[in-house]
Amino acid sequence: MGSPFERLTLPARVESVRAFHRFVRSGAEAVGLDLADMDKLDLVLEEILINIARYAYEDGAGDVQVAYSTEAGSLLVEVTDQGRSFNPLDAAPPDLALGLADRPIGGLGVLLVRQIVGLLSYRRQGNQNILSFRFPGPGPITP
Amino acid sequence: MNIEATQFEKAILLKVSGRMDAENAGEFDKACELWISQGAKHLIADLADLQYVSSMGLRSFLAAAQRLRSLSGSLILCGLKGLPRQVFEMTKLDSLFPIYETAQQALAAL
Repeated sequence: MGSPFERLTLPARVESVRAFHRFVRSGAEAVGLDLADMDKLDLVLEEILINIARYAYEDGAGDVQVAYSTEAGSLLVEVTDQGRSFNPLDAAPPDLALGLADRPIGGLGVLLVRQIVGLLSYRRQGNQNILSFRFPGPGPITP
Repeated sequence: MNIEATQFEKAILLKVSGRMDAENAGEFDKACELWISQGAKHLIADLADLQYVSSMGLRSFLAAAQRLRSLSGSLILCGLKGLPRQVFEMTKLDSLFPIYETAQQALAAL
């Protein structure tokens, strides 16, 4: 059984990402993650939060909540927004075989998240998008 | 993140250190634009002291490389290690850039 969830809610904006990093660090320290893993966790969170900041709210204004629970050396993380229904796992993976001139700029964030945490789950609950993952996760799943 | 530029005969060396994230990746874009507007053809990004890079940073590297390529130049990377190296490998971007171990090797190859 994990600890009760710690929660932080901030505007869904690029400028909130570093505050969320600091918030989750305390949980990461509590479960004994090393610095390299903390950076990976930061990366996963940043990619998810940037996606929400860009796409969740049509008028560009809304909140996002990050919550975590600690359990036996890992964190269970949930990221919740009230934006339009959006499952990032539905996004088509970028074509990594394209050369420099043709490689689209962008689309790499979700790929990184999936590579690092392996298992990411999405659910729509009422008017909320909820993304959750365990960190460290089960490892990369072959795309 | 800190960016320190050194001018060499054939290239500009940009030593990028610290953490490159969504909030500050634009500073790298600006540094590249500045040197390109002054006629630089080849930029070398020394990432030996880069601790963290997210996809927003990758966008910046990709954009600079595409821009330089359109000008018959190049963006060369060196010193990649740790998480930044893993991030380049996971996204297969490592196959799109010339990558050297050190800035000296990158400069010698031009």
